[in-house]
Amino acid sequence: MVVNLGAVTTLTWHAVGAYAIAAALYLAHIVGLRRGAENAGRVLLAVGVALHFADIGWRCYQGSNPISSTPEAMSLAAFLIAAVFLLTSLRYPLTAAGAFAVPAVVALILLARLAPVEAPVQGEVYLPAMGRLGQAHILLATLGVAVFAFAAVLAIVYLFQDRGLKRKQLERVMDRGTPLETLDRLAHRCVSIGFPVFTLAIVTGAIWVARLGILHGRGTLRPEYLIAVGTWIAFAVLIIARVGAGWRGRRAAWLTLGGFGGTALVVAAYFIRHAV
Amino acid sequence: MPGANIDLLLVGVSHRTAPVAVRERLAVEPDAVAAALAELTALSAVREAAMISTCNRVELYVAAEDADRAATGLAEVLARRAGVAVGDLAEHLYQHRDAAAVRHLFRVASSLDSLVVGEPQILGQTKQAYDAAVQHGTAGAVLRSCFEEGAFRVARRVRRETAIARNPVSVSSIAVDFARQVVGDFSRRRVLIVGAGKMSELAARTLRTHGATLTVINRTRARAEELAQRFGADVADWSDLRGALTAADIVIASTGAQRPVLTLDLIKDVRKARRGRPLCLLDIAVPRDVEPAAGELADIYLFDIDALQKVAGEHRAEREEEAAEAEAVVEEELGRFVKRWRSRQLGPMVSALQAHFHGIARAEVQRVSGGVDDKERKARLDLLDSCVKKLLHLPMTALRDADPDEVVSMVQAVQRLFALSPVAAVPEREEAPAQSASKKAAGS
Repeated sequence: MVVNLGAVTTLTWHAVGAYAIAAALYLAHIVGLRRGAENAGRVLLAVGVALHFADIGWRCYQGSNPISSTPEAMSLAAFLIAAVFLLTSLRYPLTAAGAFAVPAVVALILLARLAPVEAPVQGEVYLPAMGRLGQAHILLATLGVAVFAFAAVLAIVYLFQDRGLKRKQLERVMDRGTPLETLDRLAHRCVSIGFPVFTLAIVTGAIWVARLGILHGRGTLRPEYLIAVGTWIAFAVLIIARVGAGWRGRRAAWLTLGGFGGTALVVAAYFIRHAV
Repeated sequence: MPGANIDLLLVGVSHRTAPVAVRERLAVEPDAVAAALAELTALSAVREAAMISTCNRVELYVAAEDADRAATGLAEVLARRAGVAVGDLAEHLYQHRDAAAVRHLFRVASSLDSLVVGEPQILGQTKQAYDAAVQHGTAGAVLRSCFEEGAFRVARRVRRETAIARNPVSVSSIAVDFARQVVGDFSRRRVLIVGAGKMSELAARTLRTHGATLTVINRTRARAEELAQRFGADVADWSDLRGALTAADIVIASTGAQRPVLTLDLIKDVRKARRGRPLCLLDIAVPRDVEPAAGELADIYLFDIDALQKVAGEHRAEREEEAAEAEAVVEEELGRFVKRWRSRQLGPMVSALQAHFHGIARAEVQRVSGGVDDKERKARLDLLDSCVKKLLHLPMTALRDADPDEVVSMVQAVQRLFALSPVAAVPEREEAPAQSASKKAAGS
């Protein structure tokens, strides 16, 4: 097993550094250590996003595009989460979400960059040779995971905020919180955007796997395929329940978290399979 | 005699020393301020005057030629105003002089001496008091320094650097903040006011200012209509309480009913009909209007008067804690202010002393420089000037940092030792202080 240190550029470290400081500032604000830290955190996050974008661009220039491997796709997902959070936080007070989202970005990018190098498994298709269908699947899945991850962060904050309000902890929710309705609306918007993207990812993935089975005479039904379908069903239920039965608030937050949990399991299964 | 003293004198009463019965007799209406200020500056010992008059305090700030005489005069003015003998008012009066008066002004402007510590109105009232003095020509260099360069700056710093005013302490503000954390912006939100009493009216006024759409519902429709008319609200019929609750985002319950009017069963029904939309219930009635168990339901956020008052109490306690930090800011700024003031007051004497030493140095250079060229003469002059500066540095620093009680005698000693003529204190910006201050006030 070889650690993927060769894939770590100076830009990567700078981006990780900026993200890490931003994460520390968001966390400092959320635990009440430093007032106004979120503004500095947002600036650092913007710096991190810019450096990360440059890093991805540099890798593309070097011939390693963001969907050429699982680590690259994870790095792209981290970038998308950071960028979506940054843009959303310009309009809505999302300090509490920052305390979850930005550390998650740091963890994801470190996992991607410090993970063992991918090695083709016996009889397995090496990702760069996956063809356009495979690339489309990875790209769509990455986008879907990033959007669902952001929805999950909003759902976590919703549940904390809900608990704070039920316990009448005004200072906590007032200083660092986001209105429940805003969190619910944003999370729903994310799921609404992520669901069609994830659907396409599942369709392209299914076709791709079917073709591989025909080409290589392998038709194993892996657990992650079932988890992916389960995840898709969870999000489908969430959307239908919201539109049809008006499911919102706490129930919607839990279902979003459940759906994202499934997505995370699929990604973890891929990651472990290709890395170990 | 230039010295360390700041010629500021304060005489006044506040919520700490006088009951409202005394304060209201001393209070000055805005249209009577000009006459009151004129009365103060008519006192022979008073050069400048400003007056802070609020429901919690009446304070006279004056720059005095003779502090004792001025204090007596101010007490007489206040007693006359209250229609009592000076002796009767004396127990309620307090006075501060010099740095202590400045400290009090800083504390007042920073809301540290307020009934509700951290309340924001006092800074505006202090500014108004100073502006009035500027407008009526009774503010000069002393008041300008103490208010503009001191109190307003300190108050801004206290607000910026401490959390003294961060959290609200009034029940209505806390209720609004709770509701905002549930529904966000009020501008497109429907608020249902259940009951048409005094508390409902207060709630309607608060929420109206936040842009909410109001609906009033009351058992007696006529009273609901009366309240609705005053605030441009809609009226719902009591028989449609369930429908009105379903349509609302925030409910303020304040009826005089002896039993809960918003029962658990009713809220359960409403919750079902709302299809997951959160509902914020603010129950400010005593006895309570909402059955407490309703607050346990998902997506229902109930805050009763006890919860709101508990938070208010916590916020008040936090403000008291923050007050210690704010006091430190006041002390730090007071130290700077006094130093700045002293340095300004000692300026003419320092200049005279420096001129005296440099004059001697130059005369000596001239005496021993016959036959030397200009370059050499300049070098000698620079050398001696440098020596004079270094020799004077330590005594000048000691003079600026000296204890206020010692400064006058030290200055007198310097003047006698070096045969300097006494120099009057000259403020840095002597010209048209009131004019420049009023311009600044207009600008702000």
